[in-house]
Amino acid sequence: MLMIRKSILSVLLLCVSMLSALAQVKSVTGKVTDDSGAPLTAVTVLIKGEKSGVNTDATGSFVISNASGKTLVFSAVGFETREVLANLASLQISLKTDTKSLSEVVVTGFGGSQIKRDLTGNIARVRGKDIEYMPTPSVDQALQGKAAGVFVNAQSGKLGQAVTVRVRGNSSISANSQPLYVLDGVPITANDQSSYGGDMNPLTDINPNDIESIEVLKDASAGAIYGSRAANGVILITTKRGKAGKTNVTFNVQSGYAEASKRIRMLNSKEYAELILEGAAYRDKLDGTPVTDPSSWTAYVKNDVMDYFSYGEWSKDPNKSYDWQDEVFQRGPYRQADLQIRGGTERTKFFTSFQHLDQTGTIIGNNLQRSTGRMNLDQKANDWLDLGVSMSLSRTYNRRLPDDNAFSNPLQAIALMPMTPFKDPNTGLASGTPPGDVNIPLYYNPVLSVNYGMYTQDVYRTFGNSYLKAKILPGLNFQTEFGVDYLSQNEEGFFRSETVRNQTTAVRGSGTNTGSFITNYNTNSYFTYNKTTDIHNFNATLGMQYQQSQAKYNSTAGTDFPSNSYQKIASAATKSGGSSSQTDFRFLSYFLRANYSLMDKYIIAASGRIDASSRFGKSARQGFFPALSAGWILTNEKFLANVKYLSFLKLRASYGIVGNAEIGNFPQLGLFSGDAGYAGNAGQRPSQLPNDSLRWETTAQADFGIDFGIFNNRITGEIDYYQKNTTGLLLNVNIPATTGFGSIFKNVGKLENSGFEFVLNTQNLVGKFKWSTNINLALNKGKVTDIQGQIIEGGVSSMNRVEEGYNVGVFFTPEFAGVDPANGNALFYKNTKKADGTLDRATTSVYSEAQRVVVGDPNPDLIFGFTNNFSYKGIDLSVFFNGIQGNQNNIYGMGRYSSASMLYEDNNTADQLRRWQKPGDVTDIPQVRLYRVNGSQASSRYIVDGAYIRLRTVSIGYTFDNKLLSKYKMDKVRIYVSGQNLMTFTKYPYWDPEVNADSFDSNIAKGNDFYTPPQPKTILFGINVSL
Amino acid sequence: MKKSFYTYLSKPAVAALFLGLILSGCEKRLDITPYQTIAADKALLSEGDVDVTLIGAYDGAQNAATYGGDIMVLNELIGNTANINFTGTFAGLSDAYQTQMVSNNSFAAGTWSSAYNTINRCNNVLSALDKVTSSAARKSSVEGQALFLRASMYFELVRLFAKTVGDGDASTNPGVPLILKPTSGITAADYPSRSSVKAVYDQVVADLTKAESLLPATNTIYATKWAAGAQLSRVYLQLKNYAEAANAANRVIQGSGKTLNTDFSKLWFTFINNGGASPAEYIFSMVVTAQDGTNSLNTYFGRQIPSFPGSNGRSDCKIKPAHLALYETGDVRRNFFVVSGGNNYSQKHLDPRGNVPIIRLSEMYLTRAEGNFRNGTTVGARPLDDINVIRRRVGLPVRTSVTIDNITNERYLELAFEGHNLNEARRLQKNVGSLPWNSGKLILPIPQREMDVNKNLVQNQGY
Repeated sequence: MLMIRKSILSVLLLCVSMLSALAQVKSVTGKVTDDSGAPLTAVTVLIKGEKSGVNTDATGSFVISNASGKTLVFSAVGFETREVLANLASLQISLKTDTKSLSEVVVTGFGGSQIKRDLTGNIARVRGKDIEYMPTPSVDQALQGKAAGVFVNAQSGKLGQAVTVRVRGNSSISANSQPLYVLDGVPITANDQSSYGGDMNPLTDINPNDIESIEVLKDASAGAIYGSRAANGVILITTKRGKAGKTNVTFNVQSGYAEASKRIRMLNSKEYAELILEGAAYRDKLDGTPVTDPSSWTAYVKNDVMDYFSYGEWSKDPNKSYDWQDEVFQRGPYRQADLQIRGGTERTKFFTSFQHLDQTGTIIGNNLQRSTGRMNLDQKANDWLDLGVSMSLSRTYNRRLPDDNAFSNPLQAIALMPMTPFKDPNTGLASGTPPGDVNIPLYYNPVLSVNYGMYTQDVYRTFGNSYLKAKILPGLNFQTEFGVDYLSQNEEGFFRSETVRNQTTAVRGSGTNTGSFITNYNTNSYFTYNKTTDIHNFNATLGMQYQQSQAKYNSTAGTDFPSNSYQKIASAATKSGGSSSQTDFRFLSYFLRANYSLMDKYIIAASGRIDASSRFGKSARQGFFPALSAGWILTNEKFLANVKYLSFLKLRASYGIVGNAEIGNFPQLGLFSGDAGYAGNAGQRPSQLPNDSLRWETTAQADFGIDFGIFNNRITGEIDYYQKNTTGLLLNVNIPATTGFGSIFKNVGKLENSGFEFVLNTQNLVGKFKWSTNINLALNKGKVTDIQGQIIEGGVSSMNRVEEGYNVGVFFTPEFAGVDPANGNALFYKNTKKADGTLDRATTSVYSEAQRVVVGDPNPDLIFGFTNNFSYKGIDLSVFFNGIQGNQNNIYGMGRYSSASMLYEDNNTADQLRRWQKPGDVTDIPQVRLYRVNGSQASSRYIVDGAYIRLRTVSIGYTFDNKLLSKYKMDKVRIYVSGQNLMTFTKYPYWDPEVNADSFDSNIAKGNDFYTPPQPKTILFGINVSL
Repeated sequence: MKKSFYTYLSKPAVAALFLGLILSGCEKRLDITPYQTIAADKALLSEGDVDVTLIGAYDGAQNAATYGGDIMVLNELIGNTANINFTGTFAGLSDAYQTQMVSNNSFAAGTWSSAYNTINRCNNVLSALDKVTSSAARKSSVEGQALFLRASMYFELVRLFAKTVGDGDASTNPGVPLILKPTSGITAADYPSRSSVKAVYDQVVADLTKAESLLPATNTIYATKWAAGAQLSRVYLQLKNYAEAANAANRVIQGSGKTLNTDFSKLWFTFINNGGASPAEYIFSMVVTAQDGTNSLNTYFGRQIPSFPGSNGRSDCKIKPAHLALYETGDVRRNFFVVSGGNNYSQKHLDPRGNVPIIRLSEMYLTRAEGNFRNGTTVGARPLDDINVIRRRVGLPVRTSVTIDNITNERYLELAFEGHNLNEARRLQKNVGSLPWNSGKLILPIPQREMDVNKNLVQNQGY
C-alpha cells in the first residue's frame, strides 16, 4: 500500500514538476481588440521587465512564448497601455482608446504624423468622435469651442451658410482670413460658390461623421509647410480608414426637431398705435394743425397707415394684434441616418459610409438635405508598394433663403405693423397676395416668396484621392498622391407673378438657372526618411505640390412665362440674362521638413516651403517660408525623475514665416472688362489698375509653449503664448474715385495678434463613476499698427472700420449721449479734439457736430470651450458649453427702423415704450417724431454687448449590457438624447449674439445684425447599433 | 533571401523620375491670364476697340447712380419736398429728402464715383481717337459722343457738388476736379484739387460746343448734334446766358425736325407700351432693356398698380395732394397721377424698364421761351407761342400773354418729377422748403471717402 501510495505521490510530483517545466516554455496566445471589439494590429506585447516582445497581426492575434504566469504589457499608439497576468493559455484583451492627449498621434500634413508629446509646434487636434452626430451640417461649425484659439461664428441660423473661422485672430484686412482646409491631403474649395443670398459653405458637402480627426495647425512651425497659404492657420481633415480584422458595422439614426433659439418682444397693436399717434401729434403741433383736422398727421396715420394696412380692421378692433414672428418661425424636423462599415485584412483595408440628412430650417422656406457615400481603400500590393484610394460622393440640396437685407428675408416680417393680419380678410390668402391689395402690408410680405417662389441649390461634390507609397530603402519612402475636388453646382430660382412686389422682373414670372463647376486638382509627391536608434530619432520629408483650380460659371435668366405653371426657362418669352465666365488659379510649391530628437529629451524641427502662385505680380512671384522649432522634455531629465507627481513636462518654442494669398484671382493685372454693353451693343471698360510687385501677406509668428502632465497624466495641459506680426497686408487701397477707379491692391500696412491659450484635460474620477473635464480658453489681442492713412470701412452703414491701434473692423461711429430731459432730443457727444488733445465731451443734438470714435469691437477678447463627460455603468452624459467675451454687436441694421422713434412706420421693439414724453423725463429713448430723425442716426446707441455663454451641446445616452446583446449578435447598442443651443446666457437684446448679417459680411465687417435668423435650438433622439 | 539593392530601387525610382519629368514644366503653368477681362495695354489698339469703349461710356452713364436716374431722384427729393412725401428706407435718400445729409451719404458717393468712372471711360475713348481711321465722319462722331457724355457728367457734378452760378464768385468757388486724361496708374497727379466752378463750366461749354459741331444729326439711340445742343441750352440757362440758351434751343427745335407727341400720355411706358423705343420727342434718353440698365426714377417713384399691368416700384415717393392743386382744370398732366392705397403716384415712372428721359423736346420750347423772354428777343418764335405749344398739347387754353412766372411755372409742371427741381430752384433762386436757394444744405457733400483719400480736396460748407 505504502509503495503504491509512494509511487502515486511520486507520479504526481513528477507530473507537477513536468507541468511546471512545461509551463516555463509554454506560449500564451490571445487576441487584442479595441473597446468596440475591432481587432488591433501592431500592438506591442511584452513580458514585463523583458526587452523583446511581439506584435499582433492583422486579426489582432499574437503568440508569445515563455509567458505563462507572467505579466504581459500591451501597448499601442493611441491606446492606454494595459498590464495583464497571463494566467490563461488564451487571452482576450481589449484596449481602451487613450483619452490622455499626450500619447495621441497628430497629423502634420504631407504624410507626416507625430506623437503629441514630441510636437514642437502648436497643433490642436479634435477627434472625429468628439463631433460625431452633432446636428451641425458642416465640420467647421462643429469645431466651435473644441480647439483653443479657434474662433467659430456660425453667423446665421440659415442652413448651410458660411461660417466665420478665425485661428488666433484676424490676420488680414482685405484678403480672406479663413483658414486653409485640406481634406486627406487635398486643399479643397471652401469659399462661397453661390450666386444668391448670403455666402454658402462648401464644407457642408463633407459628412462630418467620416472624419477620423481634425488637426488645426496654428503656429508657423506647424503651418510653414503650407507656406503662402498658412497665415490663417491650416485645418487638416483626415477621414477614417479601414482596419484589419472583424468587419464592424455601425448604424446610427437620429431624429428630432429644431426651433429658433429666441423670440424678441415687439410692440402689439395698442402699443404701436400709442407710439405712432404720439409721433403724429408732435408733427401736428409743429404744423399748428389740430389732431382732429382731416388733413392732420394724426388723421393720416389713423386712416392711411393703421387702417389701410390692416384692411380696415384696426378701427374696428384696435386691440387685435399679430406677432409676425409667429408667421415666419417654425418648428423644423430633423432626420439623419448613418451607416459605417469598417474592416479588412492585413493586405486590404476598407472604410465605407453612407449618410442621409434631412434638416428643415427654423425659418419658413429653408430646407437642407444631404446624401453622401464614401469608400476609403488601402491595398498592400507587395512588400515595397502600398496603394490606396479615397472617394466621397455627395449631393447637398438646399432650399435657400434670401440674404438678410432683402424684403423677402422672412425675418423682415418683424417690421410689419402688428395690426396687419397674416391673411387678407377679403381673399383668405396671405396678406399682399393678388388679387387682394398688393401694396399691403407696409413692406412686401416675405411669406409670399415662400408660397410662390423657390430658390434651390444642388451641389454634387466628389472628393477623390489616390496614392502610391513605395519603400525605396530601409527608412526611405516615396509617396505620390493625386487628388481631385470636383464641385458641380446647379442653382434654380423661380418666382411667380405673386412675388412681383419684391422680384420686380417677375411681372409674369421670373426664373434663373446657374451652374458652377469648380475642378480642383492637386498632386503631392514627397520622399520621407526615418532613422531611429536608441538615442537619435530623425525623420525628414522633401517634396513638391502643384494645385490647379478652374472655376467655370454659367447662368441664364428668363421672364414672361405663359403662366405660373411653366417654371423652366424654356418657357420664358424673354431670356433676360445669360452669362458664362471662368477663373483659374495655380500654386507650385516645394517643401522640406526635418525633425530630430536626441535621447527623447531634445527635439528640434525645421521646415520650409517655396511657393509660387499665379495670383502675384511677375516680379514677386516666388516666396520662401521657413520655420524653426525646438522642444525640451524636462521629465526625461534626471533632475526631474524623482518628482513623482510630475509625469510630463515639455518646453517648446517656434518661430517662422507664413503667408496669405487669398485675394481672388489676377489682382496684379491692369485690366479692361468686356461687361460694359449698352442697349444690346457690346462694350468694354477699364476695370483694374496694375501692380506688378503685388505679393502675399507675410506673417511672422513666434510661439512659446509648455505641455505638462501631472499625477500619471490624469491632468494634462498646454499653455501657449504667441505673437503674430503680419506685414505687407494685401490691402484694397482706396484711391480717389476721380481716377475712375475705387481701389488698387497693394502690399500696405501691418497688424499684429498676440495671445495666450490654455488647455486643461482632467480625469476627475476614474472608477466606476467616471468624470473627465476638458477646458480650452484663448485670449487674443489684435491690433492694426499701420495702414498708412487708409480709410477702410464696411458693414451696416459703414460702421465697421480699420483704425490704427485697434482690432480689425471696430465700430466707428458717433457716441450717443442719451436724451435731453428738457425736450426729448437725442444727444451725441461732440468728441472733437480740443487744442490740448483731449476730446470735447460736450453734447449736441446736431448729429453732424459729433465726431466718430471707436465705440466697440466685434472681435472677442476671450473664447472658451468647457466640456464635462460623465459615465456610470451604461449611462453617459456630456455637457459642453462654449462662450465668447469682450465683443460688441451692431444692431443698427434693424434698429434704425425698429428703434427709430417712428421715422418709419415699422413696428418697433418693445423697449421703445420707455421713450421721452414730457419735459423732465429721464430716459435713453428719444421723443417719437413721425417721419423725423431723432436719434436714429448711426451711433453707439446701436452698439451692444455681444458676449455669450451657450450650452452648445448636452447629450445623455445609455449603452446596453454586452452580454444581453451578444445573444442578438450585436456588439453595442446605445440610445441617446442630445440637445443643441438649449440655453444661452447673454445681455444681447436681439435674437442671437452669435450673428453676422450675410448681406454685409466681409473680412472687416463682423458682428452686424440685420434681421438675421438666430441659431436653431435642436433636440434629437438617437440610436446607435454596432454589429 | 535578401533582395538586391537594385530590385528595391528600380521600380519606384523609375516612377519618381517619370513624375519629375512631368512636373518639370510646372513653372510655366503659372502664366495664366483671365478670361472675362483683357490686359489694359491690349484693349485700345484698333478702331473696333475704341467703338466698344465708347459703348462702355454709355454703359457708365447708364449706371443707376448717374443717368440711370439717381441724379434726377436726388434733384427731386432735395428740391421738391413740398410736393413729395418720401417714405423710403434708403438712409442716403431719406437724409437727402430731409436735407440732413452727412458727408458719407451713400448716394452722393455713388453719383460722384459713377460719374468719374464714366468720365474715365470717355477719356479712354478720347485718348485713342487716332485709331479711328475708317472715315473722318466716324472719328468726329466718336469724339463728339465722348465729349457729350463727359461734359454731361461734369455738368451734373458741378451742379450737385458745388455752389450754383450766381452764388458768390464762380471763378473762385470750388467746383469739381477736372480730369481730362485716362488713368493708367496712380501718380501724384491723380490727387487733384477742385477746379473752380467757372473752369468746370468753361470745359463743359467747350466740350458741348465742339460735340454739337462734330456729332451727326441722326445716330439711332446714341447722342446726336441735337442732344449736345439741348444739353448746351441747359448749361447756358444755368449760366444765365439767355441769348445762347435761346439760340441753342432754337437750333434743336428747328434743326432736329422733331415735333412734340400729340398725346402727352404716350410719352411714357416706353417698355410696356412701346416695345422699348423712346418716343421721337426724347432728344436723349438712357435705354433700358430686359437685359441691361436700370431706371431708378422708377425704382423710387414707381409702384405696382394693378390697372397698369407690368408696373412696379418701391412706392417711396408719394405725391402730396398740394401738388395736384397746382394744375389748371383740364390739364392732361393733372390726370397723370394715380391713387393707390390713399396716396398719389406719378404715372411718369411706373414702367420698370421704361427708358430714362434725359432731355425732351418740350424743354427746348420752354428754354427758348425763357431765354427769349429774359433777353427780350424772339429767336425762332415768340415766348408766348412757345408756351402755347406746350399748353395746347396738354389740352389747356392758349394764353394771350406771358410773364416770366408763367414760363417757369409751365416748365415746372411740364417737367415735374423728371429730376430737375433742385437745379431749377437754385437757378431761379427760389426757397426749397424753409431753406434759401443758396443754403449749403442743398449742396451734396464731397464724399467722405474722397476727402479721406485725397487731401487736396476741400469739403463743402456744413459738412
